[in-house]
Amino acid sequence: MGLKEDKTVPGREDRVAACMAHGGCASGIGKQDKICLKNNERGFSQAGLCQLLPTLGMLLTLPETAVVIHGAIGCGSTGFGMNTSIKLHHLLRGNPNAKDSLWFSTNLDESDVVHGGEQRLEETLLAVAEKYRPKSIIVLQTCTPSIIGDDLVGVIEKVRPLTDIPLLYSHCEGFKTKIWATGYDVAFHAMVHGFIEKDKEGPPPRKKERAPGERPKVNIINLASMGKPDELELERLLNAIGIDVVIGPNFADRETIRNLTQADLTVSVCPTHDDYLVHYLHTEYGIPYVMKDMPIGLENTSKWLLDIASQFGLEKEARAFIEVEEAKARQAVQRYLPALKGIRVFLSAGEFRAVVTGGLFQELGMEIVGLRSYHHDDFGTEFYAQLVKAQGDKDFPVDIANFQPFELVNLLKKIKPDLFCGHVFDNAWAARLGIPCITIFRIFDFYVGYRGFYEVAKKAVRNLRNHSFNTKLSQNVPEAYRKDWYDKSPFAYIKSDKLEDAADLQDTAESFQTAVAAA
Amino acid sequence: MSTYIERPRYHCALGGALVTINSIERAVAIVHSAPGCAASADVAATVGSGYWGTTVTDGRATPSTNIVEREVIFGGEERLKEQIAATLDVIDADLYAVITGCMTDIIGDDVRAVVAEFQKQGKPVIVAETGGFKGDSSVGYDFIWESIISQYVTKGLPKDDRLVNLFGFVPAQDVFWRGNLIELKRLLGLLGVRANTFLTPFDELPSLKESSRAALNIVFSQVHGISAAGKFEEVHGVPFVSEPLPIGPTATEAFLRRVGEQFKIDSALLEKVIADEQTHYYRFINPLTDLVNDQDFQRFGVIIGNADYVYALTRFIADDLGWIPYFAAITDLLSDEDQEKVAEHFNTIDVSLRPKLIFEKDTDRITQRLNEELEKENDPYGTPISPAFVIGSNLDRPLAAGLKAGFWGVSFPITNRIVTDQYYLGFRGGLRLATDLISVLISNR
Repeated sequence: MGLKEDKTVPGREDRVAACMAHGGCASGIGKQDKICLKNNERGFSQAGLCQLLPTLGMLLTLPETAVVIHGAIGCGSTGFGMNTSIKLHHLLRGNPNAKDSLWFSTNLDESDVVHGGEQRLEETLLAVAEKYRPKSIIVLQTCTPSIIGDDLVGVIEKVRPLTDIPLLYSHCEGFKTKIWATGYDVAFHAMVHGFIEKDKEGPPPRKKERAPGERPKVNIINLASMGKPDELELERLLNAIGIDVVIGPNFADRETIRNLTQADLTVSVCPTHDDYLVHYLHTEYGIPYVMKDMPIGLENTSKWLLDIASQFGLEKEARAFIEVEEAKARQAVQRYLPALKGIRVFLSAGEFRAVVTGGLFQELGMEIVGLRSYHHDDFGTEFYAQLVKAQGDKDFPVDIANFQPFELVNLLKKIKPDLFCGHVFDNAWAARLGIPCITIFRIFDFYVGYRGFYEVAKKAVRNLRNHSFNTKLSQNVPEAYRKDWYDKSPFAYIKSDKLEDAADLQDTAESFQTAVAAA
Repeated sequence: MSTYIERPRYHCALGGALVTINSIERAVAIVHSAPGCAASADVAATVGSGYWGTTVTDGRATPSTNIVEREVIFGGEERLKEQIAATLDVIDADLYAVITGCMTDIIGDDVRAVVAEFQKQGKPVIVAETGGFKGDSSVGYDFIWESIISQYVTKGLPKDDRLVNLFGFVPAQDVFWRGNLIELKRLLGLLGVRANTFLTPFDELPSLKESSRAALNIVFSQVHGISAAGKFEEVHGVPFVSEPLPIGPTATEAFLRRVGEQFKIDSALLEKVIADEQTHYYRFINPLTDLVNDQDFQRFGVIIGNADYVYALTRFIADDLGWIPYFAAITDLLSDEDQEKVAEHFNTIDVSLRPKLIFEKDTDRITQRLNEELEKENDPYGTPISPAFVIGSNLDRPLAAGLKAGFWGVSFPITNRIVTDQYYLGFRGGLRLATDLISVLISNR
């Protein structure tokens, strides 16, 4: 099965055996039984996300699209926040007059829960199509209509002949998966089925062989969280060695998304984000792919670039380019290295982003003393061992957690890092402990490639230089957790459903203590 | 029957209950729902309210059962029980409120029975069924208050004839609820009346626990918080009155006089308080006289927001700023009965300054309805309400731009500035609002 055949997108716990509850140390990642990890849970848990949120975040970026959230009113309540962020994206993309995104709630109420919401959905689709004439309409199926048995696909297929506007849909009920990253897959599924597989013109034919002398064209799969500066840097790197790029599918229109089928290569900048789409393009259109590294830090950028270049016999050009760029970047960060030497850093984000950013920090002379990944799957496995090796086998604790700030705060109090680098909404937990923080990505800044290497170094030094806001704050905020929570292992509430794991947990506790002591 | 809503500007019942609990110091919510429910409601509220933000047991730290398919099929009661026990162990709080989402309400978990076991052991745990399909955030505010009032507030305490409880402020939906409550407490305090506000960062739980001592509940709304106040009366015998939000000198003076009467406040004290506050307002406003008159800062007003604010803002611009209210759009989800109540209230505004009033939850249809009104003016130059000013939410900025009108955000969501202790109630809040509105008119200088 794959994106083309899947009627609904499987949860990532099933598709890639992803796990969201595990505590241990970096050297142990990849050595546990994957199936057992997949079933780990917590006896105490804090709010996560559901798959609808990333799905909505991605699909709202499609220009002039109407998103209909089929459900109770709250499921669409974050629309305005995403709209704000998308407007900022447009501003960065030189499009200050972009219209507001359009989103709708079918506003299911108590009576609909009894009588069903199909009719409401149908009326909404027809009204939206007629009134707004959007370039596409996307329906997101939420928990409530799913439980009461609304036939989403039935309604869509009933309405499809009545309008010329492409209709896309997503099953993204929050209760269907523990791993919200499934939402990326769901969004890709909607785009591919809506604009390619079920498009009124049908799927585009396969591309012909590239003519001799024709510049290769590659897809770069972008992220809704990736800013224009990073896209520009990626484009610059590939253009410089003679490769043209198509960037999508976020912020892309129907034509651009269809055009993804016409590339010579698909390049992922985040395997854990992209694999579902990348495999579709490979299976259906025979497009080879590069999906191993994220171009963050010098080594990863170099590997990423050489991998792509090797597909087209451009290694020589790439090596020459890398040499010049690395020399420039290394020279640029010289002035920052003394302040960064030996700084102990804790990372927190989606797994892939966190581990590759760890590599960048090590290149700047810093040491990783802890890492939290939102979920774990195989794409990130080998990087943990690399990080440990790169710092002279100094191990560090790893928390696989769909947020769970109670575990994070417990860890931070034990580890006391010098610097915290986290995803938005992660940094505050460290900040309240007085730790200087830098955000692991923001749409306004450079993080990838050579420019990113320099900008992250500069940003880290700036935040280390004065973090009085956080220091003073830490003296003036209340504690959320009971004192004895901090005496326990941060992983005390992680449950495993396999008996022999009692022994594993004991090992984990011991290796964790060692790792903390080392850190 | 409801219909679809374009660009909704509220969250669901669960969201309203969640942010109410999050506003109470040392109270913590335990959300019994799918993963994402708490985060969705919370992010909407904490971003859209001028970046209220999060503290330590809210946002992504909100305890949540995160139920998935297995619980939906087999029931989530065991998981809830485990989560409540663990939350009591880990989170340092004094009130734990279990609130539910669509999933758990549909599958019919007996959450009351689960919570009752903890209550029997003397644990401070309460419960409210707040499935999102039951209504918007204001409904959720009423649900959670009904539970707090009947399950947490002490019964049978003696009354204190100088103590009131203030209701009707749905946190985040009223972006300025913290500042507003603090200012109301100060004003009432000047008259010797102590007010329990519950939802500011400076309120302590014992004031909530013992709120049944109050002589009166004041609900600053005609529609939100009314059923909670009804519950309070039923359980604790405290009567309630409904008051419009007092914005600016005219409305606040009238409010204080009604309070004076209710509590038989010494008239010399009442007059002094009113005169002092009035003086504060006008000694800052007086020096602006040149600017306001020379530059012709009178505007046609277009006001968009919830029922309480739209009425109060209309009053303020008509009675104190001397503007012309032209169009008022109320965006709440209100029953026909509540709509009538609100419309009647508007009829107390003199007909010469009474705006066209509509009830419309769709952002886009508000523009459409306004344009229909403008068409009717039949103005050959097409600018019957120029110069205009729009007081609304961030979602109404395109409407303001279309009118080439000034714009200031007062209603949810506000995402283009930070709101901390600002407030628009009272004399001083009116001064702040006048300052903000006039500042917009000179902001391009």
